[in-house]
Amino acid sequence: MATNINDVSTIRLAADIGGTFTDVAAFNPKNGELNFGKTLSTPASLIDGIATGVAKAGTSFPEAEIFLHGSTVAINTMLERTGAKTALLITEGFRDIYEIGRVNRPDAYNLFFQKHQPLVERALRFEINERLYAEGEVYKPLDEERVHQICAFIREEGIEAVAILLLHCYANPAHELRVKEIVEEELPSAFVSTSHELSREYREFERCSTVVANAYIGPKVQNYIDGIKTRLQADGFDGSFLVVQSTGGLYDAEQAQRQCVRMLESGPAAGVIGTQALCEAIEIRNAIAFDMGGTTAKAGVIHDGEALTTGSALIGGYERALPVQIAMMDIFEVGTGGGSIARIADEGGLRVGPESAGSEPGPACYGQGGTFPTVTDANVYLGRLSPDRFLGGEMTLDVDAASEAINEKVAMPLNMETADAAQGILSIAVTSMSHAVKAVTTERGLNASDFAMVAYGGAGPLHACSVAREMGIGTVIIPRSPGHFSAFGMLFSDLRYDYVRSRFTRLADADFSDLEDVYIGLEAEGYREIEKASTATERILVSRGADMRYVGQEHSVTVDLPSHLFASEDRAGIKERFDEVHNLRYGTCAPQERSEIVSLRVTVTGMLEKPLLKSIVSGEEKPPKRAHTGTKPVQFGSDMLKTDTWDRTQLLAKNFIIGPALIEEHASTTVLHPGDTLTVDDFGNLNINIGGDAL
Amino acid sequence: MTNPPTSPDPVVTEIVRNGVIAITEEMKSNLMRTAYNMIIYEALDFTVGLFTEKGETISIGLGLPMFIRGMAETIKAKLEHYGSENIHPGDILLTNDAYITGSHLNHLTFSMPIYEDDELIGFACCMAHWPDIGGTLDGITTDIYSEGLQIPIVKYQREGVVNEEIVDIIRANVRLPDRAMGDLRAQLTAIATGERRYLELVKRYGRKQVADAISDIMDQSERAARARTLSIPDGVYEAESYMDDDGVSISNRIPIRVKVIVEGDEMTVDLSDVAEQVRGFYNSGITTGHACSQVAFKCITSPTDYPINDGSFRNLKAIVPPGRVISAVKPAPMRWWMTFPMTIVDTVFKALTPAIPERTIAGHHADLVIGLLNGINPKNNEFYIAFIGPTGGGWGAKHNEDGVSATVCINDGDTHNSPAEQLEAKYPFLIENYALREDSGGAGEYRGGLGCENTVQARADFMLNAQVERMHCKPWGLNGGREAMGNSVVLRAGGNWKEDYPNAKLLTARINAGDAFAFRSGGGGGFGDPKRRPAEIVADDVRQGYVSVGSAKSDYGVVCDVKGNLDKVATKKLRTP
Repeated sequence: MATNINDVSTIRLAADIGGTFTDVAAFNPKNGELNFGKTLSTPASLIDGIATGVAKAGTSFPEAEIFLHGSTVAINTMLERTGAKTALLITEGFRDIYEIGRVNRPDAYNLFFQKHQPLVERALRFEINERLYAEGEVYKPLDEERVHQICAFIREEGIEAVAILLLHCYANPAHELRVKEIVEEELPSAFVSTSHELSREYREFERCSTVVANAYIGPKVQNYIDGIKTRLQADGFDGSFLVVQSTGGLYDAEQAQRQCVRMLESGPAAGVIGTQALCEAIEIRNAIAFDMGGTTAKAGVIHDGEALTTGSALIGGYERALPVQIAMMDIFEVGTGGGSIARIADEGGLRVGPESAGSEPGPACYGQGGTFPTVTDANVYLGRLSPDRFLGGEMTLDVDAASEAINEKVAMPLNMETADAAQGILSIAVTSMSHAVKAVTTERGLNASDFAMVAYGGAGPLHACSVAREMGIGTVIIPRSPGHFSAFGMLFSDLRYDYVRSRFTRLADADFSDLEDVYIGLEAEGYREIEKASTATERILVSRGADMRYVGQEHSVTVDLPSHLFASEDRAGIKERFDEVHNLRYGTCAPQERSEIVSLRVTVTGMLEKPLLKSIVSGEEKPPKRAHTGTKPVQFGSDMLKTDTWDRTQLLAKNFIIGPALIEEHASTTVLHPGDTLTVDDFGNLNINIGGDAL
Repeated sequence: MTNPPTSPDPVVTEIVRNGVIAITEEMKSNLMRTAYNMIIYEALDFTVGLFTEKGETISIGLGLPMFIRGMAETIKAKLEHYGSENIHPGDILLTNDAYITGSHLNHLTFSMPIYEDDELIGFACCMAHWPDIGGTLDGITTDIYSEGLQIPIVKYQREGVVNEEIVDIIRANVRLPDRAMGDLRAQLTAIATGERRYLELVKRYGRKQVADAISDIMDQSERAARARTLSIPDGVYEAESYMDDDGVSISNRIPIRVKVIVEGDEMTVDLSDVAEQVRGFYNSGITTGHACSQVAFKCITSPTDYPINDGSFRNLKAIVPPGRVISAVKPAPMRWWMTFPMTIVDTVFKALTPAIPERTIAGHHADLVIGLLNGINPKNNEFYIAFIGPTGGGWGAKHNEDGVSATVCINDGDTHNSPAEQLEAKYPFLIENYALREDSGGAGEYRGGLGCENTVQARADFMLNAQVERMHCKPWGLNGGREAMGNSVVLRAGGNWKEDYPNAKLLTARINAGDAFAFRSGGGGGFGDPKRRPAEIVADDVRQGYVSVGSAKSDYGVVCDVKGNLDKVATKKLRTP
């Protein structure tokens, strides 16, 4: 191993492991070169896939100074229920809240409804004798003896992980800390997690679900990261190993091994960070990050240069979801992807998704035995995907199979032309996806038409122009290598630590010195974490916010608060900011009403050095001849149009293309509709102007 | 394929179908997030919807499942009251007439007519629960006049101009006028959202195309409902149950008898033999009588089809003569309207079980198990009204699976309880426990779900009002399954529990600091003979603490210890007839 070249290691590596593929991005700051490697994921030993990807990207671990990583290991462990045998220690009287949950029944008329299934069975949930008041004062002291007894019992049960949730620990974590101490002493090999370390926000069920999820996935994530560390070391890497969190921010691998639940959505979050970085480079303030893959389409938002985040999320479908109360990228997902199946419902209507053909057997056109028509089949039938150039020609698509599936399962039963049926499948898919985009914009009081759309994921570029047109969005940007975009995005992440602390106080009565103490304490924690991290930061940014509501409300909104508002105890200024945010988000506000603070939030960001995007070679307005790969008939609306096809890798900056056209690259195709125009920008992105009412 | 495309276009139909669902979801989220009171944003005690210009339901965003008819009937009443020629763009129509909505005066119902080029094309509507609408705070009411402000059908807004006099009347009659105005604003936001989005849809696809699509959606729903009704064997199916009492004549049972007639692809739900309206405030209006039939019918024929629309009910006939407890007439008191209808729905399932046991469900706890509390908060010396619950209880088992535990009753849908940490931070309460009740689920081959116990200690004195039903008529089992534990409310004063109440209704009980009350919600009934439940599963239920060692032995014939170690020999002996 070439360990002697470590002193000149400069490459920044990012590896994103998805369900099907592992993507690696390698950036060389010396010459600005960016290379990608895509390879099939290797579930048995994921690190092997990463290593292959790194080699495909033309580099090696010893050449790297930083290794950034996002993975589905955490979320899959939770969804597939392959985590550790876990016990829950909880305040006396509350053993069942994890099972009771919020008692809601969203599937209102379904007598066969289901609710969430706890990750810890009831027999392994134990009550601790202790109790705090909401103010954090002790009502009943901690019975330590009882904790020792429970430990003795669970030791015999072979417990690998222990979650601790005590009521009102957000106000006073002393009992949780002491219980943890005892458990760690009694069970030195167990993975122990307390709720306040993950969330110091009220709502016991949500916090309980969060800490249990962390404990449950903990041992597996720990091992996984250890495995990568060991391999990296063995291969001669001695740089920093950082993991992407669900906020898109980075944290040290060491911390990821303790706060595992923070990396649940690392891949999708990194895509939004990539969008943010791209927007910064091309000077766009507002953009929708649109990521469409095989089974879902996801939308995130960059508003005024910032990626929007949320304080909690539901994991695993709304009806049976397990909540996780930590900061996350605010991403809305719909069950529409390339593999979404079109079918006739019992009632006789045409439906598209959420059932997906997955990768096995896949869409009918894959020729692997799939007989149900999918969104991909409709694209193939209409000529939008070239059968012989799919995945760079690695796979040939069966147009006849696509046609037969659409005809048999949709067109004939509805008495339609096959082409109209295919067109209809796409229209329905596009409108469902536009609802996802609406959910992240209009439902937050943002106007979608003020946003550009950055589209990526295997299927994003195929449908982006249609979704944009549906939403009244004028600009679509297809980044370079849209199929590797999450890995690309990781290269632009920063170290990030998010803190929240519930503190109930009316704004009018707020004791600002107390609030200031809380903020300073949280910020200090962030500084400490950044100092501990294995990589050097350029500078540290701190932002403050508060969850606020009108007196009497339960739902609160997060209001970003510049520090000076606190320094000057500017209650009126804070109230005004809150009214503004409330008005933006809900269309109403009540300046005359009293407000209250529910929780304080701090984000501490350690800015890392960023890659500078390199310009590509410039050309004329007219693309070079070698980029033109032919023409083919493609159906747009009711017209079959002769359509140019272009090889994206051969396009040069400033090239200009008028729709209709197909721009093809290894893992995706961009569909330019009649009326749309495309300019290749200096960085190689396709910048599309959405035209009039073309179909 | 050379046939011309069918009309209307199936693709437009599907896009409109997704579109109207998305619109009512957006109306809902706007209402929830702007509302002031927890009953709206946590209990989801509201409904929003889009309706045709005739008041037919296009899509409802729930809210509470039992509100399936309230808004449509209210719009129809408003249309009848004014005549569509006297409704104009910019009008907003309001009422809380309990005999129209079928529920209680707390349900303020706002409707906004939607116009395109001066033609009325539909309505956006929002009904939401206000925590206070005036009236007496204490005791059981025996007529509508003591229940608060009655607002007949009025125009809250005429052609864009708010009628401030109506606002003044409302403000003068409610205890928390600022909160009420906050909720009012939230409701207006919701209907404005509905109007704007519906117009966008109409503009995008054309008025006629959207109207055709909607009639196509309703036709599809009707076809599905007919096909699924046809699969039920023809016959006349009857069942009965009862309510504990009306809160006035204590222990005077109130009979519930239902008859379901299935004939081909049509169903009739006959509620003629349901008890007559009662003196206490448990009545509901005729709209709710129809809603009971529709809820039961939807659960059986189109449980997961959306949007909820009137096409699904074209083959359902409900016979609801006036003057019954679910079709009460003025001046019947209506404040606690929501309890009895749930038992009627469950009784319909019971009636249909001999015909379609694989599609019905055993009885559930059928009550909100909720308490209204009021007092002075020592932290700020302000008067507060709070509520505890819904507690969530057990649901019935089915032919192939256990009942679900700790879930809201059928009146409620995506309704949430309140976090203890939230309640304790806001009010002078200390929640002592919130736990599953061992053995509360009915025994059966498939076990009923478990109910909960929620104990609330007062840190400062407060008054409690709890109107819990179904203490005596316990959730029933089906096909040999056993009944579950019923609901109850108990009090602790000076360290002593009092549990021997004749019913579970507590009118303005004073709870002193340090004392407590507890809600105990019932379980769900079992399905099938408990002796057929595999012994290993019963033993695991014991290990988890869902079933006691005693019940395992006496109800299931399974002998095991508390850790679930099975005594196979003893079990075999007990289980052999």
